[in-house]
Amino acid sequence: MLKVDHASVFFRARDGRTIHALDRVSLDIPDNSFVVALGASGCGKSTLLNAIAGFLPLSSGAITLDGRPVTRPGADRGVVFQKDTLLPWKSVLGNVALGLQFAGIPKPLRRARAKELLSLVGLKDFADAFPYELSGGMRQRVGIARSLAADPEVLLMDEPFGALDSLTREQMQELIISIWKATRKRIFFITHSIEEALFLGTQVVVMSPRPGRIVARFDLDFVSEFARTGDAGTIKTAPQFATLREEIRAILHGSDQIRSAAE
Amino acid sequence: MSDTIKTAGLLVRPTQDQPNTVDMKGFGAGEGSTLLISLATAVVLLTAWWLVARLGLVPRLFLPAPQEVLTQIGTVYRDGYAGASLGEHVSASLFRIAAAAAIAIASGIPIGLLMGLNRWAKGIFDTPIEFYWPLPPLAYLPLMIIWLGIGETSKVTLLVLAMFAPICLSAQAGVRSLPIERINAARSLGARHWQLLVSIVLPSALPEILTGIRIGFGVGWGTLVAAELIASNRGIGYMIMSASQFLATDVVFVGIGIIAACAFAFSLAVRILEATLVPWKGKI
Repeated sequence: MLKVDHASVFFRARDGRTIHALDRVSLDIPDNSFVVALGASGCGKSTLLNAIAGFLPLSSGAITLDGRPVTRPGADRGVVFQKDTLLPWKSVLGNVALGLQFAGIPKPLRRARAKELLSLVGLKDFADAFPYELSGGMRQRVGIARSLAADPEVLLMDEPFGALDSLTREQMQELIISIWKATRKRIFFITHSIEEALFLGTQVVVMSPRPGRIVARFDLDFVSEFARTGDAGTIKTAPQFATLREEIRAILHGSDQIRSAAE
Repeated sequence: MSDTIKTAGLLVRPTQDQPNTVDMKGFGAGEGSTLLISLATAVVLLTAWWLVARLGLVPRLFLPAPQEVLTQIGTVYRDGYAGASLGEHVSASLFRIAAAAAIAIASGIPIGLLMGLNRWAKGIFDTPIEFYWPLPPLAYLPLMIIWLGIGETSKVTLLVLAMFAPICLSAQAGVRSLPIERINAARSLGARHWQLLVSIVLPSALPEILTGIRIGFGVGWGTLVAAELIASNRGIGYMIMSASQFLATDVVFVGIGIIAACAFAFSLAVRILEATLVPWKGKI
């Protein structure tokens, strides 16, 4: 269980003002869950992910992974970034095997493991290609395979499909569900797309900016349904899906209006 | 159906097999090769030189003919010049620059990386580097000679100082241009501190470092020849200097030609190194 307990983050801005980026956020990511944080930009969802990853210390509150406090980045929490962060001087295989290399695993072993992961993300024919020879979607697949290589307890994904075109994006959503189903990893996923959140999450937390906080939580089942049936069209056109989409849209826009009324 | 055929007949004229391809109009020098133009320019310049010498527009003392310079290369190669063979002059110069480059690279890269990574290192090394780097090396050559004598040590030290700064500063710039996401990604994959340095920081800074080495060699050649002109009894610079004292203009030309060839070869070597080590440069 990954537990975020009353996490608050304050930044000091360049002009000396204090910015309240995250306000007493509490969140559980249980085993086998797919938790999606949804919100407009500036709502603190990336701040939350950076804190869970260990890139950013908290001002107050605590984050624990299976009871151990999170203080620094580590291989137990794999991160997939929005911008791909592959190493341009390493082949696709070398990039996927990077975490295993850091762990000191011998070369033949890490090559074998990296090849397995590449076939999991559908790139086994591109093992010897270099990142600059791949499309954006393919690079992001490599990024996912790389973060899985170290066998993390939880996968943190920071708007991983935000820079992709909508067709590729749908393919990648289905890919990540199949990976989730195959590996049973806990996933914490950030997006600003309501539809993506509903389709992917077993739990969706809706966040609102200034200060960044959770304003609503939904427990969902669409992703398990897709994992069972493999039929995205039926799910996305179902009436419950549309109702929830409108409900969340109302929450997101509502929090906007509350703020503009206060200003 | 018949309509379609008529329209097609109107659009594509049967006499034309190849369509007339078009291209967006460019601006500036563009991508086309300039090799032929450059070669033609070289031929024109050489011909002009030959003509000027041939017509006697300038006294031979000032401008020897191209063929005289060519013969002189043979003579200098056979007989040597100013107390040493051509090989000894060239190898003396090459030894100095190679030794200095090795020292400057071996010290400049780690110090530069350290300056990019650590506030204390930057604060400490910045002061001496910023003080001496803008100085022309020949300004402190007399000091080097007083301190280290007239031998190889003073010249190699001068060259090390001249080549160190660009290499060190470029390594530092390489660290600073490193995106934080790349570091974070490596950390979340479990990289420890020295693994970050070896696997992420050094390769990321490599393109900048290679540029720094290229600049270093440029500065190095200029300093080397000037130092040899002033204080030496071996080396290409010394050869040029003694030839000029005897007004042997053709030998001066030979010396300049050798320096140009060496500098070009070094620059080419670094470029080839760049193409093999960082083929991804500018692509991601």
